[in-house]
Amino acid sequence: MIRTLTLAGASLAFAAAVAFAQGGEDRKDRWWDPGEGRVFPASLDYRNANGTLRLLLDSGPMETKGHPFFTAIGPNGRACVTCHQPADAMSLSAESAQRQWERRGAKDPLFAPGDGSNCPSLPQGERASHSLLLDHGLIRIARPWPIKGVKADFTIEVIRDPSTCNFDAKHGIAGAGMISVFRRPRPVANFKYIEAMGFAYDPKSGMPLPVDPDTGKPVSGNLMADGRVLSLEAQMRDAAGAHLGFLKNLSKRDIARILDFERRIYAAQQIDVKGGALDADGSMGGTKTLQISAAGRLGSDGGIPVWSEFEAWEKTPEALKAKLSPEVRAFRDSVARGARVFRDKTFLITDSTGINSPIGFGNPVRNSCVFCHNMSYMGMDVAPGQVDLGTTNQPFADPAPHLPLFRIACTGKPHPHYGRTILTSDPGYALTTGKCADVGRITLQSLRGMSARAPYFSNGSAKDLRGVIDYYERRYNIGYTEQEKQDLVNLMRAL
Amino acid sequence: MKVALLFGAVFLTGAQDAQQAVRFIACPVYRDTDNGRKSGCWLASDPATGIRYDVTAAPTKPDWNHAILVEGRVVKDAGDPCGGTVIEPARVSVLEAPCTRHLIKAEGYKGRKFALPARNVRPLYDKRKLPERPFAEGRFTIPFDFSSSFITYQIADYYLDATINYALDVQPARIEIAGVAQTVPDTVSGQRIVESPALARTRAEVVRQALIMRGIAPDRVTIVDRLPGPFVTAAFDGLEWQARRVDVRILPEAGRPK
Repeated sequence: MIRTLTLAGASLAFAAAVAFAQGGEDRKDRWWDPGEGRVFPASLDYRNANGTLRLLLDSGPMETKGHPFFTAIGPNGRACVTCHQPADAMSLSAESAQRQWERRGAKDPLFAPGDGSNCPSLPQGERASHSLLLDHGLIRIARPWPIKGVKADFTIEVIRDPSTCNFDAKHGIAGAGMISVFRRPRPVANFKYIEAMGFAYDPKSGMPLPVDPDTGKPVSGNLMADGRVLSLEAQMRDAAGAHLGFLKNLSKRDIARILDFERRIYAAQQIDVKGGALDADGSMGGTKTLQISAAGRLGSDGGIPVWSEFEAWEKTPEALKAKLSPEVRAFRDSVARGARVFRDKTFLITDSTGINSPIGFGNPVRNSCVFCHNMSYMGMDVAPGQVDLGTTNQPFADPAPHLPLFRIACTGKPHPHYGRTILTSDPGYALTTGKCADVGRITLQSLRGMSARAPYFSNGSAKDLRGVIDYYERRYNIGYTEQEKQDLVNLMRAL
Repeated sequence: MKVALLFGAVFLTGAQDAQQAVRFIACPVYRDTDNGRKSGCWLASDPATGIRYDVTAAPTKPDWNHAILVEGRVVKDAGDPCGGTVIEPARVSVLEAPCTRHLIKAEGYKGRKFALPARNVRPLYDKRKLPERPFAEGRFTIPFDFSSSFITYQIADYYLDATINYALDVQPARIEIAGVAQTVPDTVSGQRIVESPALARTRAEVVRQALIMRGIAPDRVTIVDRLPGPFVTAAFDGLEWQARRVDVRILPEAGRPK
């Protein structure tokens, strides 16, 4: 009888929480601490500087109490949600990290020594020891060197390391046999698209899609920045050990529950502060379109053009336009133009592995943003997207005096574009494959929910959306007009 | 019955008018015709004659930092969209020898609007026509660039995909693979070119691995020294340089249920 009453009480509390949270902005703090026991509603909005992000959870609300995504399972007090915050489009913005530091300082599990500081050996109470996370939103990723089971065709030497970790006696290359690189957490949302396989082949490797060693089945190859694991399940095991300090294996039940959540959650910008609802007047912006659309579709060659969600705003009748404020009208026009620029403005792509080599496209090749960002609704690469944009490799990378700098020496064939020696702040995919030709190749990310999760690029080198455009302009000498740059920024903030 | 020509029905513009064969090594020049995506022109001058050729039709495009081996046939009446005598069919192999990169402007040339090549791998969400029973012996050939075992986009991948799809569709079947390399030395533009015999094996291993990655059981796939001819020539569009390839024979095991 008592048990029945308890259950009934719990159900009522759950129902009340759902009723409270559904369809509106969560009134609790925007930061989700592990083990809070909130209900994750079917629809959850968070404001950001550009408007409102909306998260949608397929199949309705979910109790997070005891849920392994939301519960600290290791000794460092972290849960998956610590670095994959709903308000940050299931990633982590540098702004949120700074807010947590101001609220709680080093004792917040986010700043766990293992990867939430520049190096575990540094004094953990000092802000400077967490500068990469606080100033650039970067988490330390320790990769084994030499690479396990792979004979690399390059050597690696640390030239400088302001993080100290690569020279550290305990955690560095000599001590732990680990290379420390620093990367942004990737969004844990919209996995229907991230896991989708549009083609059976990866043209960048010339081979079929990679095969998950656990299942023997092909996978999309779009999951991790460096492709070090291939499935969500393997990523979970990797993250539980590396980021949560969990030394045991996750149980099958926990894995299933995390997978269930991760495959149900969608995130996208829903409302813009200047332009209003992104799904208004025929537009298909916002999160719902992601939830209901088919994934893994190529936007070119007869598919649904990338970002054509905003096409209706190109055709808004004058009578309707007249009812809109000048600010809303201008924003909508700009977003629609930005989508066209994204698809149609071509430029010469040069010396980028994964594009200009080894596929056969040629070096240079003229194309637009959708050459790589080609998946309808998501802007990822339908083929696995490990590309070297130069964000980590010199001479293309922006100066990054805060990051380690490595000298790569190719011992076999020279790199197709850099020659025998490469200076890089993150070898990227090469730390998985052991191939010199893969230095600096990073898996493309989803372009959704960007307003909620600055800074951008895997190493956080673009502090805002304009920084992304400016990087591409410098890298490929595109010749965007000021209007085109602003239109692209407006497009990206609306995603 | 064989299904050797299943994927041979690729028609090339101007192929019927193909004339003189050309083969040379040169540094490529990129003409930026800026006529939409993938619209640039690739030019290369035969050092023996000084004639500038338009090699844009090659499935593998040049890299402006490297010399290229050009192989193809001159097309009569192909116009002059790029500022060079058009070669089609054309093959380009990117060599290791370095070149000084050079880009020239459109200078009034229009280039070509991009059109999706006939040899393209279809997405998994496209419905695929299955072969009819009884399953025939399948013969396939996958072409390679000179000195390369890479499966090139929109040429080798197309033939590899056809091979793998047939292998998957007619299981149970035995699959035999034979790699071929250009081991007889040749002189092109004054340079000796030859492939290592080991490259034949490497190419065969690449195809074997691809079959296995797509789900063919490893014990169904055997690498053999050579397969009885004739091999499938469709991938070469009538060009004579056909010694860089992998031949595959798929032998459905008749009478056993799929």
